[in-house]
Amino acid sequence: MPSAYDFPGGIYPPERKQRSSQATLIEAPLPSWVTLPLQQHSGQPATPCVARGDSVKVGSVIANREGMISSNLHASISGTVTEVTTAQITIEGDGLDEWFRLPSLDWRSAGRQELLERLNESGIVGLGGAGFPSHIKARVVERHAIDTLVINAAECEPYITADDLTLRHYPGEVIEGAQIIAKLCDAQHIVIGIEDNKPEAIEALQQALADSQPVPVELTVIPTRYPSGGERQLIKKLLDLNVPSGGLPADVGVLCHNPGTLLAIRHAVRDGQPLVSRIVTLTGEAIAQPGNRWVRLGTSVMELLEEAGVNHSALNQVIQGGPMMGKSLLTLDTPVTKLTNCLIAATLDELPPPPAEAPCIRCGECENVCPVALLPQQLHWYARAQDDTKLERYHLFDCIECGACSYVCPSHIPLVVDYREAKSRIRLQRIEATKAEHAKHRFEFRQARLAREEAEKQARKQARQAQQRRPSNTVTPSTSSDKVDLRGLRIAHAAAKASVKKAEKTLARVAQEDPKQSLDDLEMQLATAQENLKAAELQLAQAREEQSSEESP
Amino acid sequence: MSMMHAAGVNDAAKATNVPPTASLMRWVIIATLPGIATMSYFFGLGVISNVLLAAAFGVALEAAVLRLRRRPICVTLNDSSALLTGVLLGASLPPASPWWLIGVGMVAAIVVAKQLYGGLGHNPFNPAMVGYTLLLVSFPTYMTLWAPPQELIPDGLWAQIAGTLPTAQLDSLSGATPLDAFKHKGDAVLASEFWATSPLSEGTLNAWRWVGLAWLAGGVLLLAKRIISWHIPVAMVGSLVVLATLFYLSDPSHFASPLFHLLTGATLFGAFFIATDPVSAATSRRGKLLYGVGIGALLITIRTFGGYPDAVAFAVLLMNLCVPLLDLYSVPRPTGQPKATSGKPGERL
Repeated sequence: MPSAYDFPGGIYPPERKQRSSQATLIEAPLPSWVTLPLQQHSGQPATPCVARGDSVKVGSVIANREGMISSNLHASISGTVTEVTTAQITIEGDGLDEWFRLPSLDWRSAGRQELLERLNESGIVGLGGAGFPSHIKARVVERHAIDTLVINAAECEPYITADDLTLRHYPGEVIEGAQIIAKLCDAQHIVIGIEDNKPEAIEALQQALADSQPVPVELTVIPTRYPSGGERQLIKKLLDLNVPSGGLPADVGVLCHNPGTLLAIRHAVRDGQPLVSRIVTLTGEAIAQPGNRWVRLGTSVMELLEEAGVNHSALNQVIQGGPMMGKSLLTLDTPVTKLTNCLIAATLDELPPPPAEAPCIRCGECENVCPVALLPQQLHWYARAQDDTKLERYHLFDCIECGACSYVCPSHIPLVVDYREAKSRIRLQRIEATKAEHAKHRFEFRQARLAREEAEKQARKQARQAQQRRPSNTVTPSTSSDKVDLRGLRIAHAAAKASVKKAEKTLARVAQEDPKQSLDDLEMQLATAQENLKAAELQLAQAREEQSSEESP
Repeated sequence: MSMMHAAGVNDAAKATNVPPTASLMRWVIIATLPGIATMSYFFGLGVISNVLLAAAFGVALEAAVLRLRRRPICVTLNDSSALLTGVLLGASLPPASPWWLIGVGMVAAIVVAKQLYGGLGHNPFNPAMVGYTLLLVSFPTYMTLWAPPQELIPDGLWAQIAGTLPTAQLDSLSGATPLDAFKHKGDAVLASEFWATSPLSEGTLNAWRWVGLAWLAGGVLLLAKRIISWHIPVAMVGSLVVLATLFYLSDPSHFASPLFHLLTGATLFGAFFIATDPVSAATSRRGKLLYGVGIGALLITIRTFGGYPDAVAFAVLLMNLCVPLLDLYSVPRPTGQPKATSGKPGERL
């Protein structure tokens, strides 16, 4: 291996990219109707802003982003809105393909805010699979200094060639998109990581690199090995940096983008074209004309496969995504979304179901291929036993679910399925625990409020008594047992003051570290501490008053 | 989940992949053939009848227990693990051992050590070595008498069926293994004097060496086919040789040479076929190294200072006991996890 840096493990599954990489990139026919789900990105679903019967053009906003992590949604064909539900919007096309474009922006002269707003308006999300809104990702510089932008063109999963074709056809545009992001993030370097099984894309990039500026772009060709396209694995391979567990690439000054996303960013900025279509790989033995297509979002998978000549009698399953990490579609009556990078119409011979599961004999083959250096055999054991303490001790949450362990398992154990189940179970438990914790905090706040109100009442009463006492000038006899514990109250007051300070500090720190997180609970804790402080102040003042009134006569 | 499985991939890449569990077991059985063939060349057909008898017991007992446990019989038997346990135990016993001895050993191995713990994948102890140890402790006479080469047909086979010791009665020393003989040479006798008396019947030492090399050949086949990893055999043989060398250098007149330890007894058989049982061994690579080193150290310690001439079974079982501890302390650090966990666990540095 020529590379100086490496991640552990990895596998060499058959690539099967030839089938789709040979054909040229073409436009899929304009669909007569589209169904656009409101959630095609991570975070909150978008909120529809059109009603039934509205006529829309390609690029009209049909749903607005909702909340912090969300993304706009645009009509991908011109026509009439026929249905708006809580989950999706359906548009009937008029066949005219009329466009609504935003004005072109010169990114070299445009301001940061202007560019961010353009990404936001255009509904750009990560097209590699996670669908994280790009304008939020670009704002990471507000918290972390970014040194390097990595273009993740490894495309290590078998079958998929969407990035390959993107780079072969639009090398300059992708690099321009990278320059835009580099400008937004003040990145000093751009590094392209690409596997050596894409010679044409590498050549295209090398030619495009010549006149790329202002940020220097470096092309690094890495040996083909799954999963070198994993964000952490690629960063390790290219830059020899370890993204900390539970952290983001930004923690080590790196930002990762997929070529498709960068192309969409370039289109959004230069051409004012929002994200309404993407490149999708159509492949698999059950398809007569495999290849890559520009597909309008919302196009039915069924129509797309029909058009590519799917052989229904040979078809066994359709996989969305790659064969290692993708999902088998339950129904073909589903639209292409921003996240659909590949559709594999597989025959039974091509991707047979796994043989019957045998017991784990702890052969350790999974350990040899794990790219994170976990012990999959032990995780399997504890996942089946639901031993959550052990699972966390063995770092279950560092698992990237690449499926290398399942691939090599001689006992055909669906290890990744076990891990996903265990992860979602533990997450659910954590949410429950947080909820209980929050309920406790709300109760504490109520107690504190009541205590403060009681203290206020006492203070008023004392003031009244003092007023009554003065004219009559009668001294209430105080016994020693009645004597107020001034020292104790002073300590309580100081403690309350300290806890307010502590709550303020925690809130400030968390808000700074992770602005995405809901701060309600911490605000509540701060309010509780403040109520307690007020109550303590009142009690202390009252006690002092009493003492002085006792001493003065 | 991944739709691609190494077993389901019908490409050239398949050749480099690990075969499924059942064929893993079969490859181990195939790899025992050179050792078994060499043994039967030197010690007679009693070796082969041992192996066949033990394998038959293994399969029959496994089927019987599976039936009692109401588990699918054919599917489970198909993994060949019971067959393998039989072959390994059969190959460890003195040639033409009485049938009931083999039967008792296989009951301990398959029924007690394996199925009562939950079957394949769940046994904490190496089944064949549990059977062997039980026999060694309970029937020492039968277990320590190795008839000298080429004297077993037809008397030996007849003895096996009748369930008695081989009829050609031998004095205890001449029937002993080289390790046994050397162990009982007595402190007064120097090693050089001992060898000068030609204590073993002719060819015995040579026979054991050839058998050891045949096991080594099988082990190399397993390594080449990626059925076993190198960690355990290398660590075990390495620690054995290092410790034996230290002992030998300290007093060559009383301690056997490293080569003697390496090539006689069950060292190489144990290193490649017994200690490498993945189910009862430590699981991580680091754990496997520690596990191997532990077996090697225990082996030389028991051979030199313990009451038994050979100790592969004891060493393996003792290290099986340590596996949970080794597993606990040999968890590799995943990429991205901090190097040292100072302060609270999970806290990032």
